[in-house]
Parts: sequence; structure tokens; C-alpha cells
Amino acid sequence: MVVFLWCLAPFVWLILTSLKQGDAALNDPDLLQGPFGLGNYVAVLAQDFALNMRNSFAVASMTTLLSVSIGVITAYALARLPVRRRIALMTGVLAASLFPPVALVPPLYEAWRTFGLLNTYEGMYLAYVSFSLPLVIFIMSTFFAAIPRELEESAKIDGASALQAFARVILPLAIPGVVSAMILTFVTAWNEYLLASTFAPRNPEIAQTVPVAIATFTGAVEYQRPIGTITAASVLVTIPMIILALLLQRRIVAGLTAGAVKG
Amino acid sequence: MSTAISTKAPPPRRRLAGHGLTEVALARLFIAPSVLVMAAVVLFPIGFALVTSLRSYTRRQVDGFAGLANYGTVLSDPAFWAAMRFTGLFTLTSVALEFVIGLAFALLMNHARRGRGVTRAVILVPWVIPTVVAGQMWAFMFNINPGFINSLLGLDDFNWLGSAGWATVTVIAADVWKTAPFAALLLLAGLQTIPSELYESARMDGASAWQRFWHLTLPLLRPAIMVALLFRTVDAVRVYDLPQVMTGGAFGTESLSMLVRQFIVITPDPGIGAALSTITFALVLGVGVLFVSQIGRSMVEGGSTR
Repeated sequence: MVVFLWCLAPFVWLILTSLKQGDAALNDPDLLQGPFGLGNYVAVLAQDFALNMRNSFAVASMTTLLSVSIGVITAYALARLPVRRRIALMTGVLAASLFPPVALVPPLYEAWRTFGLLNTYEGMYLAYVSFSLPLVIFIMSTFFAAIPRELEESAKIDGASALQAFARVILPLAIPGVVSAMILTFVTAWNEYLLASTFAPRNPEIAQTVPVAIATFTGAVEYQRPIGTITAASVLVTIPMIILALLLQRRIVAGLTAGAVKG
Repeated sequence: MSTAISTKAPPPRRRLAGHGLTEVALARLFIAPSVLVMAAVVLFPIGFALVTSLRSYTRRQVDGFAGLANYGTVLSDPAFWAAMRFTGLFTLTSVALEFVIGLAFALLMNHARRGRGVTRAVILVPWVIPTVVAGQMWAFMFNINPGFINSLLGLDDFNWLGSAGWATVTVIAADVWKTAPFAALLLLAGLQTIPSELYESARMDGASAWQRFWHLTLPLLRPAIMVALLFRTVDAVRVYDLPQVMTGGAFGTESLSMLVRQFIVITPDPGIGAALSTITFALVLGVGVLFVSQIGRSMVEGGSTR
């Protein structure tokens, strides 16, 4: 099918290239030109790439934890509780989600320099929250809006407080939505490049993430881009994401299209 | 059919619970952290950038108040207009292509009875691939040597990435590959909300496939189309990763975002950088407001006809 070919062919090219060995094979456009082997992967892992993976994982996890935990309760308040200026707040969330990350670069660069947050995990995930929090609020408020109101009413008739009704009755029902929001946030943070390359560009032992590492790989021979190691590193970062996408396909699609179309 | 923006009327104020926090207090408690965080990471930077853009700098040192001089410098800089040209061209072309291809994919998938789950999973693959990886991948594929695309098309050593014009084409091609599936997904979700009875009755009235598409599918899909276009346009105006990785901004492929970063990190002049980022922000916001007002109108119209 057309869709399959379109989506997968370039990725198959990537995998095949990453498995090629030696200059001659790598410089030959013929995909089936051997010899094949895992040499590129060994080389990548010898180059601190594991540290980059660890950094990316730490930053993406913290971003997810932070923005999902505060985003979910805000979304609930906006969807269900009596909030003054609800429309203004929702508009604010929407405006924040349109915010171009590059507009954060000048002010946060200066601020992070002053506070010593450049090249730290904190500097990274605090900046990432600026785009992930509106996303979480957006997804979760549509999920909460879809849960029948009667459930809270009956919990309250049984004597539960507003907080208890949320924590015991509504939150468990919203778990699928929370999972969607977590995956989307994690994937976005894992793939982010602009802020990562600005706030933590330097060295893999500090906070440099995988995309930055891949963009700045240099080969053993100068002026030659190390196609083998770059493709191997690319496969290494992409495989976990693809497995995630295949396993949780239903949740991701639900999250992506929540609000957008269902309403 | 409703859209992204929740315009639900606020619910009637309900009786307070017998004990524990009142609903109003709980609402405040639940909203406070987000408001604080957003103020720190969004509102503060906007304000700070505005102030910075009005100051003059010499190598990161504040040199006094500059008024609108930084904006004047930016607007008279040919590099700014080159970046505007590239960003505009990139946005129009890639969003248009993504929309057409995405719609075709969505219609295909909506028709297919079997394997819908697998297809949806596969369609997520370009979306989960980090943009940097996609950029490297396409840069290698468009390379002269080992040029996979050149050998595929039978072009000997055509220099895609190293010539003005074609460099833009390669960046757009990579972007369309990466995000057309995403557009397809949003449109597919919209297609699935259209009841199939409508098509059956149209068919009985003798409408051709094209007429059904033009008079039924497109109007009913309008909210989903607007949302998909909004997301994609805003993303395209902010483009950074792909041109940065594929060409480094050479051969007329420097986007606005790349220019901002250049003034902050590489040739530091925070005043100019902040003025540029403010202009970028205003542009994105303008596009956003335009779409949102359209989406709002389509909801009002939809409500009155049904």
C-alpha cells in the first residue's frame, strides 16, 4: 500500500545503511552492497552515546512528570470546577501552545546564564514545560469533558468532598487520557532540538541530548560526515520510539486527535 | 461538530460539598501551579524579550535605551527578508503539499476495511522519528555521493543540497514526508465523525463520487481541516530543525528561527535577537488568530444550519 511505502521506505534505507561496513560499502548507493555488520553500533556506543541517551531519558521523563502532574489538575479545574475567567484561561492555554519556542531563546538564554542553569537538566526541562504544559491541559480537558457529570454528583451525594470525588472517582477513569498525554509529552521532549542545542550544546557528560549529539557528530576523518555512525545512532534513538508507537498506537492517536476533532 | 476550542458555557455553580475544600477553593488550588509555571516560562520571557528588544547592546552589555532602533535594524537587514522569504515559501508549499497528500491518505485509510490499526501504527513512524534524525536521513539520501536518490532517479551527481532553490526543495520534501501522515491522522479522525448514512442517501440521489466528495465530505470535514491547517501552519512558521540539520541555512534556507538563534548564541546581540524573536512571535500569533477566528466562525455557521 502507498501509505506503507511512503512511511517506511526511508526508514528501511536508514537501517540498511547503518548495517553497512567499511568506506566502500557506505559510499555506495546500492543498498545491498555489503559487507554488513554491527560495527557502526559498536563505534557509536564507544563514543559516549549511552550518556546522551541517559540525558535525553532524564530530561524527557522530568518534563513528562512535571507537566502531566500539574497539567492534569488544571485541566480538570478548567473542564469541571467553577472557575472565573474560564474563557480567558482557555484562550491563554491556546495562545501558549502557538508560542514559537525560538521566542524563548533570547530571554531564557540570558536568564539561565544568570542563574547558572545552562548545561543542566533543570534548565532543559523547565524550558520544555513551556510547550508541553499547554499540550497536556489541552488533551486532558477534552478527556475530562467526556466523562459524565453524574459520576461526581453521585459521589458527592455519598458524602465525598470535591477533592475526594476527583481523586477517587474521576482520576481513575481518566487514566487512559493521562497515558496519552504522557506519551505525547515524552515523544515531543525526546525529539526537541532547538532548545536542547541552545541550552546544553556542549558535552555528553552534562546534559547534551541525543538530537544534539546526532546533529554534531564528527567523523574520524575531518570534512567527511560519518554516515555509518550517524545512521546507527539514528536507529538507536528511533527504535524505542517506534516500539512505543506500535504498542500504544491507539492511545497516541486518541491523544493526537482529542479535542482536535471530537470535541 | 465541535472543534478544538472548548466554548462550553460555564456550568451552574453547584451546591458546595458538605466538608473538605469547596469547589471554588479546589479550582483555585488546581489552577495555581499551572498559572505560576506558565507565568515563569511563557509570560516572563515575552515581557523580558520586549524589554530587551528596546535596549541597545554591545557584546551582551546593556548600552542604554534604543527605542525601536533594533526593529529598524532588523527590518532593513537583507538577511531578515531572506529568512522571511524562505519561511514563507516553506510554509506555503509544505503545508499545501501535506494537506493534499494527507487528505489522500486519510480517504484511502477511511475506505480500507482491513488493517486500519496497522496502517495507523505505520503512519506514526515518521511522526515519532526525531526531526534531527529525519533531517540527517534525508540529507544523506539527497547527497551527491553516496546519493541514493540520485542513483534511484538516474541523475549522476546532481547537487540537491548545494544549489540555491533545490536546497529549499529538499528541505520541503523532508518536511512533507515527516508530517503529511500527521495531517492524515487528524483528517481521518474528522472523516470518521461523518455518518455513513449521508453517503448512502447521496448515492441514492444519484450523486457521483466526485460530487459526494465535493459537496459532502469537504464541507463536513471543514473543522478538522481548519485544525490540521492551523497546527501545520504554525509549526511551519517556527521551523528550525530540518533546515538547520540539512543545510545549516546555506543556499537560501535560513528560517526566521535560525536567524534568531544566530543573534543570541553565535554573534551575540541580544537586542537584535529579541526584536527578531518578537517579530516571529507576532507572526505566529497572527496566523493563529486568523485560523482561530475562522474556526470560531465555522462553528457558528455549523450551529445555525443544523
